[in-house]
Amino acid sequence: MTKNNSNKFSLKPFLVIWAVLTAIGIWISIKGTPWLMEKSASHQMHMAILTVIVFSVAAAPVAAGIYAVQIYALAKWRYKGEGVPPDAEPLRNNVKAVSAWIGVSALLTTFLLIWGLAALASDDNVSGPNPMTVNVTGQQWMWSFQYPIAETLLHHNVESNILVIPVNNQANFNVTSVDVTHGFWVPSLGVKVDANPGTVTTLSVVPNKPGWYDIRCVELCGLNHSAMITKAHVVSDKEFLTWLKEQPASPAAITTSVKN
Amino acid sequence: MTATIDLQKSHSPATNGGGFLRRLNFGTGIIFGIIGALLGYFLPHHFFDNQGSAFADQCTVISAVGWVIGFWFGIGALAGPFKWFLGWDQTHADEMYLAGKDQGKKRYWKYCTDHKVVGVQYLVLAMVLLGAGGILAMLIRTDLISPGSHFVNQQVYNSFLSLHGMLMIISLIIAVAGPWGNFVMPIQCGARDMAFPRLNALSLWTVVAAAVPLLTTLFIGGIQDGWTTYAPISIQTGIGMNTFAIAIITFVISTTVAGVNTVCTIMTMRTTGMSLDRLPIFTWASLIGGALGLYAMPFFATAMTMTILDRSAGTSFFSADSGGTGWLWENMFWLMGHPEVYVILIPAVGALLEIATVFSRKPLFSYKTAIGGMAGIAGLSILVWAHHMFTTGWAPQLGGPFMLTTELISIPTGIIFLVAVGTIWRGNLWMKTPMIWLMGFIANFIIGGVTGIYLSDIPVDNTMHGTMFVVAHFHYVFVGSVLFGAIGAVYFWFPKISGRFLDEKMGRISFWLAFIGVQVTFLAMFVSGLRGMPRRYASYQAIFEHTNVISTIGAYTIMAGMLVSLANIILSWRSGEPSGPNPWHSKTLEWLVPTPVPLENFEVLPVIESDPYTYGEKEGARA
Ligand SMILES: [Cu+2]
Ligand SMILES: [Cu+2]
Repeated sequence: MTKNNSNKFSLKPFLVIWAVLTAIGIWISIKGTPWLMEKSASHQMHMAILTVIVFSVAAAPVAAGIYAVQIYALAKWRYKGEGVPPDAEPLRNNVKAVSAWIGVSALLTTFLLIWGLAALASDDNVSGPNPMTVNVTGQQWMWSFQYPIAETLLHHNVESNILVIPVNNQANFNVTSVDVTHGFWVPSLGVKVDANPGTVTTLSVVPNKPGWYDIRCVELCGLNHSAMITKAHVVSDKEFLTWLKEQPASPAAITTSVKN
Repeated sequence: MTATIDLQKSHSPATNGGGFLRRLNFGTGIIFGIIGALLGYFLPHHFFDNQGSAFADQCTVISAVGWVIGFWFGIGALAGPFKWFLGWDQTHADEMYLAGKDQGKKRYWKYCTDHKVVGVQYLVLAMVLLGAGGILAMLIRTDLISPGSHFVNQQVYNSFLSLHGMLMIISLIIAVAGPWGNFVMPIQCGARDMAFPRLNALSLWTVVAAAVPLLTTLFIGGIQDGWTTYAPISIQTGIGMNTFAIAIITFVISTTVAGVNTVCTIMTMRTTGMSLDRLPIFTWASLIGGALGLYAMPFFATAMTMTILDRSAGTSFFSADSGGTGWLWENMFWLMGHPEVYVILIPAVGALLEIATVFSRKPLFSYKTAIGGMAGIAGLSILVWAHHMFTTGWAPQLGGPFMLTTELISIPTGIIFLVAVGTIWRGNLWMKTPMIWLMGFIANFIIGGVTGIYLSDIPVDNTMHGTMFVVAHFHYVFVGSVLFGAIGAVYFWFPKISGRFLDEKMGRISFWLAFIGVQVTFLAMFVSGLRGMPRRYASYQAIFEHTNVISTIGAYTIMAGMLVSLANIILSWRSGEPSGPNPWHSKTLEWLVPTPVPLENFEVLPVIESDPYTYGEKEGARA
C-alpha cells in the first residue's frame, strides 16, 4: 500500500493501436456511410451524406484515441496480483494536457460548426428552374397533395395521394395539417418538416434523379402513424404534364387555408 | 395540556406504537390512496348534474389527485404538518421513531427520515420501475420482430411505447441520484442526515405516488402520443392522458423537493474542513445535477398543467382552433427535456469518477477541470433545447444559434472523458466489477456522444430527426452509459448498504451480456434509422426487417444481462460474501464509517484536512 508502483507508458504500441483503430474508423466512414444511408436524389440529401462522412472522419481519431487508451490500459496497466493493488504514482493535474485537450476539442467544434452553417446555407439557398408550389396536407392517417399550377393550366383543382414532381425543377412545399402534428419526410430528398395544424411550414427541393421514393410520417400522430406512408414520383417535365392532365378535377381547394 | 401529552410521549419507548399516526405505512398509504381516488372519481358524479363533454377528463384528473393526496396521508407524509397544525411539538422520541430507530426491516415500508433508509428505498424503487420499463421494452421489441407483426395491436403498442419512455426517464432520474445521492452523499459531506429529513422521505414516497397513476394509464386505454405527449394529439388522446399528466406533476414535486434538499445539504451540512474544493466528486455531481433539476423539471409540470386545462377546462394553450400552438408545448417540453438528460447523466458521471480513482489507485485527474466540465455541461444544457425542434418549422432563423450551443456541449463533455482517461492513466487498474462497468460506460458514451454531433447538425438532422437513428443515439446514452453507470455504482456501493459483496462472476456475466446486447441492439438500430425507418412505428416496410430482428435479439440479451444482475443483488443481499466496512480501501467518508452505518452516521463528526484522493501521497500532504 505504501510503495508507489508506477506503470509505464510506451508510445509506440499505443500509436499502433490508435492508428489501426483510426484507419478502421475512417474506412467505415467513407465506405460505409454511402452504403448505409438512403440513396440521394437531391442536393440536401447529398449534403447530409457528405456531412456524415466528414464528421465521422473527424471523429474517428478522437474516438479511436479513447478506445486505444482503454485497450492499452487493460493490456498493460491491469493489476494482476492478489488483493488491493498498491497506490499508483499520483497525477493531480497536467495543465498542458488539459489545455491541449480543450484546445483541440474547441478547434474541432469550430470546424463542425462552420461546416454545418455552410451546409445549412447551401440547403437554404437551393433553387432551380420553374418553381412550382405543392400544398401538402397531413391528416390522420394519410397525405394529400394539391397542385395550384393545375388551376392556371387546367382551370380546375388537382389533388392526389401520391406526390408527383418534375425532375430538376424546384418544388416548393407548403405543409400543414388538419388535425394533429405530422411529420412530412421524403428520405431520398433529404427534406423534412412538421405538418402543424393552423400553420404552414415550407420546404424547397430540386429533385435530381427520377424515380419512385418513399414518403413517411415522422411525428407520432396516433393509432396508424406507421401506416402514414405514401410515394413520391419524380418524373420528367413531359410526364408530369401528362400526369397532371389525366387527373380528375377535384371538388374544391380544401384544407390548405390557414385558420387564424 | 399539550405539554403533558408531549411529556408522556417523550417517555414512551420508541418502539411503542404511539397511536395511529405512528402506525401508518405503505399498506395504509395504498388503502387511503385508493379511497382518495374513488372519492375523487365518484363525488363529482354525485354533485354535478350537468356533465359537460370534458366530464370524464375532469373526473380522472380529480381521481388521480385524490390518489396522490390519499397516499400522502396514508403513508404519513402529512402527519408532521398535521401535528404542527394542532400545536403538538415533535419530541426527540418522535424524531427517533420517524428515523426508524429500533424498527428493523419494518422501517423500509414506512415514511422514514433516515437518509440511508431512503437511499435503499430509492434503490428498490428504481429497480422496480426499471423492471417495468424493461418489460415494456421487451414487448415493444417482440412486436417489432417482423414487419407486420400483430403481437399487440397498434393502440396497445403506442401505449407501451409511451409508458416505456416515461418509466425509463423516471427510473433513470432516480437511479443514481436516488440511492446514492441519499445514502452516500450526506456521509460524503460529513453530515448526520440530509438538511430536511422529512422532505427526503417525502421525495421518495412522492415517486411512488407518481408511479401508480403512471402505470394506471395502461389500464384505462393508454395514451397514443408518446412520452413526449406533443400537442395537440395530447388533447385528442384518451383519458389515460389525465393520469399520465398528474403522474408527471407529482413526480416533478418529488424531484423539486429532492433537488432543494440535495442543494441545501451540500451547501450547509458539510463538516469542519470539508471545503468545496475537498468535496468528493460524486457530491459535486449531486449538487450540479440537483440544481439543474430544480431549473428543468418545473417546465414539465407547468406544461402538463396546461395540457390538463386544455383537456378539461376549455383553455387552448396548444389548440390551433382557438389561437394556441403545439410549438408552445414543444418549447416547454424541451426546456425540460434537454437539461433532464444531464440531470440523469451527471450523477452517473460523478459515481463513475469515484470508481475511476478508487480502482486505479490514483487521485482524480484534474479535479477542478472535472467540476468545470460538469458545470459547463449543466450551464450549456439549458440553452440547447430547440435542437429537438429543427424540423418542426418553429423559428428556422434560430437554427444556427442552437446548432452553436449544442455543439459547444461537446467541449465540457470531452473534459469528462479527459478526466476519466487521466485518472486511469498509468494507474494500477483493479478490474473489479465496478471498474468493468466504468470501462463499458466510456466505450458506449463515445458512440452516444459522437452520434449526438450528427444530430446537432441541421442538414443531417433533416434526414435523421424522428428516425430510429435518434432512438439508438439516446439509448447509447441512457442504456449504454447511464444504466451502466448506475449498475457500476450498485456494484461499488452495495457492500456499504448490505455489508456484503455482489458476486464478481455473476457481475461479469451480467456485464458481458449487457455490453454485447447494447452493441447488437443499437448498432443495428442505427442502421434501421440511416436506411430511413421512422421511430415509433408499430409496423414497418420489409426493407427494415433484418436490422429489426437483430435489434430484438440484442434487446433480449440486454434483458438477460439485467436479470443476472438482479439475481445477483437478491442473492448477495442474503448470502453474499461479507465485505467489512471498506472493502475497496477507498478514502471518501462513507467508507470510513462502520457497516452497517449507524443512525446519524458519525459518533463524532470528522474534521477534514484534505480531499479524499490522496492515493500514493503522504497523508495530509495536501492539507
Ligand atoms: Cu405520424
Ligand atoms: Cu437535447
